[in-house]
Amino acid sequence: MTSTVIAFIIVLVLAIAFFFYSCYRRFGLILKGKPDNRFDSLFRRFWNMLYYAFGQRRVVKKPFGINHFVLFWAFMILLISNTEFLLNGLAPDVISFARLPDGAYFTLMCIFDIMSVLALLAVILAIIRRLTFPPPYTEAKSRDAFIILGLVAGLMIAYFGMNASEIAAGTERAASYMPISNFGASLISSGTPASTLDTAVQVFWWFHAFILLSFLNYLPYSKHMHVLTSIPNCFFKSLEKVRTQSREEFKKGNTFGIGQVENFTWKGLFDSYACTECGRCSDNCPATFTKKPLQPRLLIHDIKVNLLENAGKDGHAELPLIGSGGEGSVAEEVIWECTTCGACMEVCPVFIEHVPRIVDMRRHLVEMKAKFPEELLTLFENMEQRSNPWGIAPADRVKWAADINVRPFEKDKTEYLFYVGCAGAFDARNRRTTLSLAKILDKSGVTWGTLGRDEMCCGDSLRRLGNEYVFDRMAKANIKTFTDKGVKKIITQCPHCYSTLKNDYRQYSADFEVVHHTEFINGLIQDGRLKLNSAKDFSSIIFHDSCYLGRYNGLYDAPRQVIAFATGKAPVEMERHRDKGFCCGAGGGRMWMEEKEGTLINVARVEEALAKKPDAICVCCPYCMTMFDDGLKDKEAADKVQVLDLAEIVAKALPD
Amino acid sequence: MAEEAKKIKRPRGTARLIPGKCIACGARCETECPKDAIKMNEKGEPIIDLEKCTRCQRCLKICPVQAIEIYYTPEEQKILDELAKQKAAAPATALEAEVVDPRLAKLREYKGVWVFTEHTEGKPAEVSWELLGVGADLAKVRNVELCSLVVGDNVEHLVNEAFAYGASKVYLVDDPVFHYYRTESYYKCLCYLIEKYKPEIVLIGATGLGRDLAGAVATRLQTGLTADCTGLSIDDKGFLLQTRPAFGGNIMATILTEYTRPQMSTVRPHVMPLPARDASRQGTIVRERVPVQEEEIAAKVLEIIADENLDSVDVAAADIIVSGGRGMCNAENYKILQELANELGGVVACSRAAVEAGWMPLERQVGQTGKTVRPKIYFAVGISGAIQHLVGMQDSDTIIAINRDKSAPIFEVATYGIVGDLFQVIPAITNYVREMRAKKAGKAVAS
Repeated sequence: MTSTVIAFIIVLVLAIAFFFYSCYRRFGLILKGKPDNRFDSLFRRFWNMLYYAFGQRRVVKKPFGINHFVLFWAFMILLISNTEFLLNGLAPDVISFARLPDGAYFTLMCIFDIMSVLALLAVILAIIRRLTFPPPYTEAKSRDAFIILGLVAGLMIAYFGMNASEIAAGTERAASYMPISNFGASLISSGTPASTLDTAVQVFWWFHAFILLSFLNYLPYSKHMHVLTSIPNCFFKSLEKVRTQSREEFKKGNTFGIGQVENFTWKGLFDSYACTECGRCSDNCPATFTKKPLQPRLLIHDIKVNLLENAGKDGHAELPLIGSGGEGSVAEEVIWECTTCGACMEVCPVFIEHVPRIVDMRRHLVEMKAKFPEELLTLFENMEQRSNPWGIAPADRVKWAADINVRPFEKDKTEYLFYVGCAGAFDARNRRTTLSLAKILDKSGVTWGTLGRDEMCCGDSLRRLGNEYVFDRMAKANIKTFTDKGVKKIITQCPHCYSTLKNDYRQYSADFEVVHHTEFINGLIQDGRLKLNSAKDFSSIIFHDSCYLGRYNGLYDAPRQVIAFATGKAPVEMERHRDKGFCCGAGGGRMWMEEKEGTLINVARVEEALAKKPDAICVCCPYCMTMFDDGLKDKEAADKVQVLDLAEIVAKALPD
Repeated sequence: MAEEAKKIKRPRGTARLIPGKCIACGARCETECPKDAIKMNEKGEPIIDLEKCTRCQRCLKICPVQAIEIYYTPEEQKILDELAKQKAAAPATALEAEVVDPRLAKLREYKGVWVFTEHTEGKPAEVSWELLGVGADLAKVRNVELCSLVVGDNVEHLVNEAFAYGASKVYLVDDPVFHYYRTESYYKCLCYLIEKYKPEIVLIGATGLGRDLAGAVATRLQTGLTADCTGLSIDDKGFLLQTRPAFGGNIMATILTEYTRPQMSTVRPHVMPLPARDASRQGTIVRERVPVQEEEIAAKVLEIIADENLDSVDVAAADIIVSGGRGMCNAENYKILQELANELGGVVACSRAAVEAGWMPLERQVGQTGKTVRPKIYFAVGISGAIQHLVGMQDSDTIIAINRDKSAPIFEVATYGIVGDLFQVIPAITNYVREMRAKKAGKAVAS
């Protein structure tokens, strides 16, 4: 055994030991999290990992993601080369690709050569991008980023240096299959003595080894920890789309919500490690867009910082998770800014679950601390006492139907329950939608009825705002009512009711067929059960995707098809549409709160709509309706542009 | 004969359901039964376990349709008739024999109606005087004194105010320990006085302070408390009937405190009318020293930090509100609303849109996320009446809406609606009010 090998063994053992120690320290913290079963359906999980992590499905959705794709795959393939490199260092004569037959060896060396140059180009592009047109946040230009990029670039240069020197020395038999290294070798003057070349090989080899091991050990301490965590995070990703938040158990002695970092589930903590800090969540966040303090990227990062800061301080967190004025990692104001629109989760390449984390922290503030924006006190009281957000007498729920004949839902006689919802029943503007929908239902030939004054709020706002205790009671009460009345199919007019009844109530083993009116009307049209004259009053209708209809429940096509059918023309699209749709600003309970920071979300969205010069904006949600109505008035455009619910457009097209 | 009659054991009878009368109201009898002798069958009708039944007859009383009766066999009925005859013959003896519920007997010791005078460092809360108004009616029916309870530090001046608003007696506790409101000191003080003087009714304003205090006192005294009453009266047996909305306002519940005293209620501000003030009224002052020591109180008030953002105008307390919305177009235009408000002695408020546009401060906002108001007159000027706004003002006595859009939802709740340009309508109203006042003043001078 030569002295070089001995030296290398020492270096390698130290480097690997330190790497494992670092990993132990970092990942040991994850085990502090609460249990969460993410080991079921292993085949599906494995597929998710292949599809999303190795396939880089979400990464490549942005043009520059291609660069990452190249780097990722170069990295994967060079992992083989680098493993061989390290093993070869330990046993130069035993383990070496050079011992393979010519064909295999030449192919491998060719691939490695090309991959290395691709990686080098990708890294150089990434450096240029950061220097010239960086992503819209400062950390993209952090030292961290340049160190890693520099290390990767150095690794590639060392690789080429090593190979080029070997080729020049004539000791590389695959030379003609390694175009880049060969080109490098041609730069070395032919008169260089063999001993110099040999030294060069040695120097590049050690340089390569040094960078490789430094890179390995730098990973756990940088944002590039995602190299280690993002692939498993795709494996552990929620098997279903994250459409709701988990239930809480209301037992004596329990704590509710999350006020300390170790109360997150282990997956919640792992998410913070998996974050690549790419900033796509913030790019798509309505709060960030309107200059509010919430930036989902920073929120996830802050959870990680808090976890690391409190490491080893069991139970006595030095740095509180939540606190205002820099006292805690996440400011309270930040937690309340979220509209739960889900845009962050839709774009995250590694499937971080932002919204449930935010709701967890809201639960802590509401249920443990009773600390929330004061406007919410009225809401919570009204919900608890009168089961509607405004505190209007429940008897008024039937007033919308004062001039028409609406039947009560009858067991075994009525097919569909029309769950009107609070806005549809109480809000003057949205009552017009309700009436339109009632008209459509009458024409559709199905039997339908309502619960009248016995209908209660679904509790959507309460759940998103973290008032899980009251939501829990309301959900149980509603499910009992539905079950007692023999309800099997429910039509809703509000996407929030829709998603709550459909997704949230399922956690209570409720099994109702819930349809939103867009889905229902589209079904009637497709089956030929609803005949429409074309509504020709509009020259251009622009369509706004409701978050809880589109992103949460995938209903993108139904409303568009209905508009096309009812008006004879496909709707105009907003700049940001479908899964990139931009929230109206009212979701997640924001409807009931003041918007004190930054600019107004609804105005931003209205401006986006007005840019396309529509004469009507089509919405499918009572909250969106209110937000657009207000926004149009703010922009003094209410005279020129009207907001209509899809049901109203269809009702206009109904034959008399 | 009389002695012999006493020996006859009074028959107990049998509690039973009158067939076909039960409406399955929801097991009220089952809930009421103190002995758990009633179980419901699947139809929701009671099955009475006669072994357990003590014939207390509470189920009979609670039943909304009188479906339960006490049945006596013919023999038992005979004995009963006999007893009734004896009772008629010797009413005095019969009266003695009448069983008085010992719980009720104790209640007779409690006399008088008390109203707690709430104040902040000597500045009284108007709700205390409002309660003296309704308290006077109760005291008159019960033929007892109406007393005011003044607790504080240097609050002697409140005593005469209490007399002026109708109290005939004031219990005054003037001690530095009561300078600031603290739950512990105040509830101990009230409990001490109530235990000493035994009032039958105690009324407290349903303010932040009052709700805190009333709950603590009622818990300590183990008595009933009805929060946020909207009506108070006395029934023919002398009980306080406490009426308040229940089940989300769908029904009015009347609540009785049957077996404990005092009967405690809180009432929100502006629910009861303010009685006429008569400064010439006099009454008795009872000065009390209450054994509450500063050392016993865990909470110390170090400093009172006033809310800096607090507007000097309290929109919620105003009788006349002139409120402007998006239709005002800019902050400058609020001047014309201020002019009208000045003429009427009211204040200017606004909708959320005006706050968002930066025309008005948040403190003036009326609606879901602002203040809830119920003034005598509410002008809604250039406010379309989104539900968020309506819930904050729809209980106003008179709503006058002025809006260009005749389909604006504000007109659905308005007493009077004016469809027109507010920039013409408002100055016209202001001028009219001004003229009327000038005329009135002119008349007054002439006469």
